[in-house]
Amino acid sequence: MEEEIPIWRIKYHPKNLDQICGRKKVKETLKHIIQQQNFPHMLFVGAKGIGKTLIAQLFSKEFLKKTYNANFKLVYANIPLSQEERKKARSEAYVSTSKIGSIAGRRITTPAFIQARVKPFVQLKVLVGAPFKILIVKNFEALGQNQQGFRRLMEIYGRNCRMILITTKISSIINPIVSRCQIVLISSVKYNDFKELITKIAKQESLEISDEAIEVLYKISEAKISRAIDLLQLSSISGKAIDMEELYEYSQKFRNELIRSLLMVAFKGDFPKVRELARKILSNYKYDIHEFYLLLLNEINKFPLSKFTKIKLMNLIADSDLKSLDGRDNDIQISALLSKICLFSEYM
Amino acid sequence: MSKVKTEIPWVEKYRPKSIKEMALPSARMRGQRVKLDEELTNFIESFFEERIKVNKKNKQIREFNRTASDKERKDELKIPPEKAAVLLEGPPGIGKTSIVYALANDFNMEVIETNASDTRTRATIEKRLKETTKTRGIMDFIAQSKEKLILIDEIDGIYGVQDRGAIPTVIELIENTQFPIIMCSNEYKTNLQPLYNKIQRYEVHPLPENEVFKIAKKILKNENITNLKEEDLKLIIDKNNGDLRGIINDIQGIAQGNIEGDHKELILSLHRDNLEEIFSLIRDLFQVSSLREARNLTNKSDVDYNFLYKWVNENLLAFIKTNRELAEAFENLSMADEIFGRIRTNQYWGLLPYFFDLFAGGVALSRQETPIAKGFRRVVFPRYTSGTYFSLTNVEKDFVEKLKRKYEISQIDFIQEFLPFLKILCGTSRKQLKIVSDWLELDAKEKKILK
Repeated sequence: MEEEIPIWRIKYHPKNLDQICGRKKVKETLKHIIQQQNFPHMLFVGAKGIGKTLIAQLFSKEFLKKTYNANFKLVYANIPLSQEERKKARSEAYVSTSKIGSIAGRRITTPAFIQARVKPFVQLKVLVGAPFKILIVKNFEALGQNQQGFRRLMEIYGRNCRMILITTKISSIINPIVSRCQIVLISSVKYNDFKELITKIAKQESLEISDEAIEVLYKISEAKISRAIDLLQLSSISGKAIDMEELYEYSQKFRNELIRSLLMVAFKGDFPKVRELARKILSNYKYDIHEFYLLLLNEINKFPLSKFTKIKLMNLIADSDLKSLDGRDNDIQISALLSKICLFSEYM
Repeated sequence: MSKVKTEIPWVEKYRPKSIKEMALPSARMRGQRVKLDEELTNFIESFFEERIKVNKKNKQIREFNRTASDKERKDELKIPPEKAAVLLEGPPGIGKTSIVYALANDFNMEVIETNASDTRTRATIEKRLKETTKTRGIMDFIAQSKEKLILIDEIDGIYGVQDRGAIPTVIELIENTQFPIIMCSNEYKTNLQPLYNKIQRYEVHPLPENEVFKIAKKILKNENITNLKEEDLKLIIDKNNGDLRGIINDIQGIAQGNIEGDHKELILSLHRDNLEEIFSLIRDLFQVSSLREARNLTNKSDVDYNFLYKWVNENLLAFIKTNRELAEAFENLSMADEIFGRIRTNQYWGLLPYFFDLFAGGVALSRQETPIAKGFRRVVFPRYTSGTYFSLTNVEKDFVEKLKRKYEISQIDFIQEFLPFLKILCGTSRKQLKIVSDWLELDAKEKKILK
């Protein structure tokens, strides 16, 4: 007997490609690739949180079968290097003078990220008879300038290791990379598939859920399955029947209530308080500044405001985001935006 | 009153002529206390011994090479780097440069100095130093001129994005030098690690207070300054934190200034880059009524502008109240920040005047409606350290590691999506909290995150 897993999101986590909800076409293509035992570098594109990484991971697992543990690696491009990794990269970038060859004594100018996280893996030989290794790079767009370093890497080590790059923004990926990859678009889950999955879970957990409630769940979770399951679990705590109001209530809690209240305080024009709150949000949730602006933008769209006001506010956010690209101190940029919103609220 | 001669700065005037008459700061090498004068004298002496040895051998090698076939040729020897150069490391103004000059004076040597902060790029270092170090000029043989001592000051300022080549150049310099090299640096920099690996590093500590006091007394007596009270002198010494250069500069400043005035205020306006100065600067800044005043303030102070505008950001709220003014002030400040960012990334140093005017004058003059602050305003530290750097606390890291055994999730997704859910879930009842934490095998600290 397997022990009971208390977190549903983990309990209903797909174990293989077949268990993935919906997206039949993608699954078919991937299965075909598995039969062929060969594929080019791939670029997975799709919205945030819909399961790109999961699909890529399960695909690699089935592709590599038993050799999965030895030949697979997942790296996150958006997590900065730790101190040790930086040190390692720096020391490895120097070729000892005792080595033979024209490169002896030189410094290799590979970006630290590639040197520390990617190269050690791709350079190693394929182990235990798999056709090649698979490297997944998540949030590839976060690499920015370092993407250039991947161009040669993909060619030189292409025979040894195939890469699956995962991104939400294809526009921020440089063209040479895009042209080296097969693009796989991953859509979010269709409603029918979503409904099937939720009813299955509801049956297993003996919940009562109406079609309407499922529809609501689909909407408020923005078709993100893990979030939908989270919501389902939360509202199941108070009773086996799933109540729509409860779903709403919990989704409100999820929807980072803080960002909403941040805007509310800003509309009241209380700048010192807003700034305090913004700092709290940023330090608790560790948002990237750009992400923070996008959240604000999202939230503003949901406010009952006139078209004119919305556009004006968007303009302010865009302007601030643009400035923060060059700026050095995010706190100043965010404060500037919030102070402008506070001022603007006086005319609303 | 006292007649003060002010032609040369006193710092130069009272620079010790010999290492023996100098109040030596204590020093450590690899954690062990050493006597700096002995060490340095030894270093210079052994360098010249080594040079004679190496040059003699090289001469033989050269003669041998002249007749030998290509294969048999030997490489010429070099003076080992640990004997060719030393590094003195310590806070500013404690006498690192003075030691070098005193030493040179004792050995009757000529000091060739480069300030690393002035000549930063590879090309300039090569131009200024390389030829001097490699060869002894023709004139040297004819006229038996002085030996040279090379001083590379502020070596920690040498490194930046734009001059990556500089450190290897310095190392090359050390390997090929014909003259002893002494380098000074203010702090340990990881960038300089290749250098540290090659040479001896001495940590130099500030002089003890009573020594500083003695020196200051001596100068006062020499310059016939009678109107500086002992307690004020103590204040100066206190403020400068062992920075002897700063102390001497301050004393000279007081002696030159309006001597009748209240000394303490004078001292307060004189002392260097420390907290009180920033505090008063910030307070003064928000009192200004013209752009020129603001500019004067920022020009006069030598507070690091890297931080000054962050102080402005943090303290702005204490002086500016209405939303209109705030928006105006932040508009200017954010513009200044953007400009500063561009300056740093692209080295557009020409834009610096805009940066200064915007973050000082631009912000201060946004105050139009709020009356000038009367009475004391508390100035606070810029406590919010911003930056896109993503880092978790240790407890959070452990938590993710434990979770990862059961469920693959990235740190960012964990913080932004999964943790809020877990918090709500565990917040519903104690039983839930227990079930979840038991399943994840959390310890007490990690449990706390969930609450």
